[in-house]
Amino acid sequence: MLDKLVIPDPDPIPLPAPFWLLKVLLLLTFFLHVVPMNFLLGGGFITAVSDFLGRKRNDQNYLSLANSMGQMLPVIVAATITLGIAPLLFIQVLYGQFFYTSSVLMAVPWISVILILIIAYYGLYYYAFRWQQLQGKRLAVIWISALLFMLISFIYTNNLVLMLTPQKWMEMYQTSKLGMHLNLSDPTVIPRWLHFLVASFAVAGLLVVIHGLIRMKSDASYGRFAVKYGAGWFIIATVAQFAVGVWFLVSLPNDVMMLFLGANGLATTLLVVGIFFALLGIVLLLLATVAQKPKVPAIFGMASIIVTIISMIIMRDIVRSAYLAKTGVNVASYPVSLPVSIFVLFVLFLVIAVGLVLVMLIRLRRGARVSQPA
Amino acid sequence: MNYPIWDVPFFGGGLVIAAIAILHVFVSQFAVGGGLFLPIVERKAYSENDSELLAYVKRHSKFFLLITIVWGAVTGVGIWFSIGLVNPAATSTLIHSFVWGWALEWDFFVLEIASILIYYYTWDKVDRKTHMFFGWVYFAAAWISLAIITGILSFMLTPGKWLETHKFWDGFLNPTYLPSVLVRTGVSFALAGLYAYVTLSVLPSSDFKERAVKYVSKWFLPASFLIAGAGIWYVAMIPAFPRTLTMGGAPMLTTWASLSVILSILIFVFVYFGPYKHSRSFTLPWAILLLLLGLGATTVTEFTREGARKPYVIYGYMYSNSILESQKYDLYTKGVLSTAKWVKDKQVNPAEMKAVGREIFRLECQSCHTINGYNGIKSVVAGWDSTYTDAILRNLDVLKGYMPPFMGTDAERAALVTYLTSLNPLRRTLALEFRTENALEAGRTVFDRFCFRCHTVDGYNAMRTKVAGYTYSQLDSLLQHLPELRGDMPPFPGNENERHALATWLASLNQAK
Repeated sequence: MLDKLVIPDPDPIPLPAPFWLLKVLLLLTFFLHVVPMNFLLGGGFITAVSDFLGRKRNDQNYLSLANSMGQMLPVIVAATITLGIAPLLFIQVLYGQFFYTSSVLMAVPWISVILILIIAYYGLYYYAFRWQQLQGKRLAVIWISALLFMLISFIYTNNLVLMLTPQKWMEMYQTSKLGMHLNLSDPTVIPRWLHFLVASFAVAGLLVVIHGLIRMKSDASYGRFAVKYGAGWFIIATVAQFAVGVWFLVSLPNDVMMLFLGANGLATTLLVVGIFFALLGIVLLLLATVAQKPKVPAIFGMASIIVTIISMIIMRDIVRSAYLAKTGVNVASYPVSLPVSIFVLFVLFLVIAVGLVLVMLIRLRRGARVSQPA
Repeated sequence: MNYPIWDVPFFGGGLVIAAIAILHVFVSQFAVGGGLFLPIVERKAYSENDSELLAYVKRHSKFFLLITIVWGAVTGVGIWFSIGLVNPAATSTLIHSFVWGWALEWDFFVLEIASILIYYYTWDKVDRKTHMFFGWVYFAAAWISLAIITGILSFMLTPGKWLETHKFWDGFLNPTYLPSVLVRTGVSFALAGLYAYVTLSVLPSSDFKERAVKYVSKWFLPASFLIAGAGIWYVAMIPAFPRTLTMGGAPMLTTWASLSVILSILIFVFVYFGPYKHSRSFTLPWAILLLLLGLGATTVTEFTREGARKPYVIYGYMYSNSILESQKYDLYTKGVLSTAKWVKDKQVNPAEMKAVGREIFRLECQSCHTINGYNGIKSVVAGWDSTYTDAILRNLDVLKGYMPPFMGTDAERAALVTYLTSLNPLRRTLALEFRTENALEAGRTVFDRFCFRCHTVDGYNAMRTKVAGYTYSQLDSLLQHLPELRGDMPPFPGNENERHALATWLASLNQAK
């Protein structure tokens, strides 16, 4: 069966850096992308829900929250896209043979991501800039944007699972070359997507908590409301995640699933670590909702969720590697040729760019403080 | 060969890339020039204590943000998506050769996005100097990312020493790199002006409007010098062959290239007689007209640049159909079907010649040709019989310098011929309106159909000199023996009437001069 697999040959040009380095950069930049992506994916939904509740119950807290989130979301989209480009680059270097092929098979949904993103993104700016004027129509705008972002995440999940299963490609391609495929016949696609989606509700809930903590200084009751409301989203979503996560785990091919249930020490440890810190996060966020000073437990709760996110990202990579190992392709064995000078420039200017962003943010804060009325 | 091929009916994959890329370039180059425009105008407003100008540049920065950060950034990602779908092999080459160039560009992209957001959101929140500092950081980052991307873009037409060394800097600092950066910089200044007209044109007529529109018009002066000067430099640096293509060698490309020059000049003329001369009464339709002219100029220029690269996608390395130059001779002997990964039958099945031919069309031709739509092959081969089609296919790269040779075995070529001749109902007369009552006109039509692939009237391989001294009856008889006359000429594919008409027209060439 395996010798019948059709997989494109690797690029004749060597890998531009050692495998491990590209892998580290892929995972690191994916982490940087995933955090704002979660804020956006879950945040759009939370904004839509709180705007709805605010209008329905005529509750100023919900409305203020929706307004503040609405102002943040366009900036979060910019961060998501910008930080998403790097992992998109590194995945093409490492796994282009797989990624391009699955993308071609689902070319139409894949390219439509661009159009959907433009519509959803302008929708968010429309929502943010026309908050007052739009009134009732506002809800439709934010719902459309939030649902479109979910649609994008769904298309992504389809493709990133399809790239792992070359045994399906040839038949799909011979059935239709118009690039209209999705990957719905794969039993892992739906649970995997839900796993990501539910996680984004939890992580975006934490964004609401952060917002609440910041606002507590100027408006204690609203700040406390936001902390509680955000923690609620986090806790409910994370509890739900235990069901969705199990569903995803058992939907994986048996050998891949077993890696996390004892067959592989690292994978199993990561799963335990991820679950442990998620539970810890729930406890700490529960504390934050009742504590007089919610700041400390909330921050520790977020720190533990960062540990969970990191372990989940590594687990995700273990799943990918396990799938791809079965194809007989071993990217780690490809020849390497690292052009040192330009690589050094990349690292150097990365430091400079991040430094400049920090300088601008510091000057912004200082400036904002100066211009604030006494 | 290596990747499955996405069928895009009617439009073709190339147009998908073109549509996204052009709309991206038109905004992203504005994102550079407009990035210079913002802090310069802001400084001008401060130093002249011009509150109207300051209010304008604030409003303009919102327009700028909404256009560049959404449309510009997302369509930029869109280019990655589309080239990965339509030409994964070439995309993979660009990624593998230049990954750290892309990564470096990403450093500046991060800085660019962060600084424009900070710039926009800190109007009146920080002191003037700090605010302008944000603007300058933005412009520097935006221009540097243009300068990095241009290295990789210009590499595709003039890879220079990279072809031998495969070294990053040999590809990046290629012969057309510097002129390309300068032209694009000039274009970005002009676009800064074109977009500023849009936001100015909606203002009511006033002293301020007059003053501001006049000022913006001045942005076109340095732009015109850069575009014209660096443009000439650029054309001088591209290899002779693509240059001849744009200057008569390929009719379509020549049209694009001339339109590029004409539209660019028109923009400057329209700027002078429109906003510059009538600053006060300058209105939105004018601004939109100018913007459309700019979009037109961008479109034809990018089409020319892309087209001039034919038959390659990376010059001298990879053909437009993703076949590597180094693979070519293997394909002649082993065949394209046995090399291609995504075909059902690895050999020509004589019972399925048409289907096999369709597959070969997909592999070798579809990257540029659709069947019925854009650059559609059906209308190109109308009226061709098998012998004629085969003769063309055997000499593709010679007849059409901007096409790759047909790379495959004789059996594979025969399958492609079967497919191509099956596209139109077989008939012995031309599909064109053939009117026997005017033999001269009909003869010219026949010439355009069958001979024009290789012969011009007075230019390349000139027909007039070939037929000098021949009479009608001699020509009519020669037309029946073309292969004997010249080994590589196909037999005349038309019917008797068409032959008579052609002979009549050819004979008339002797008298016309």
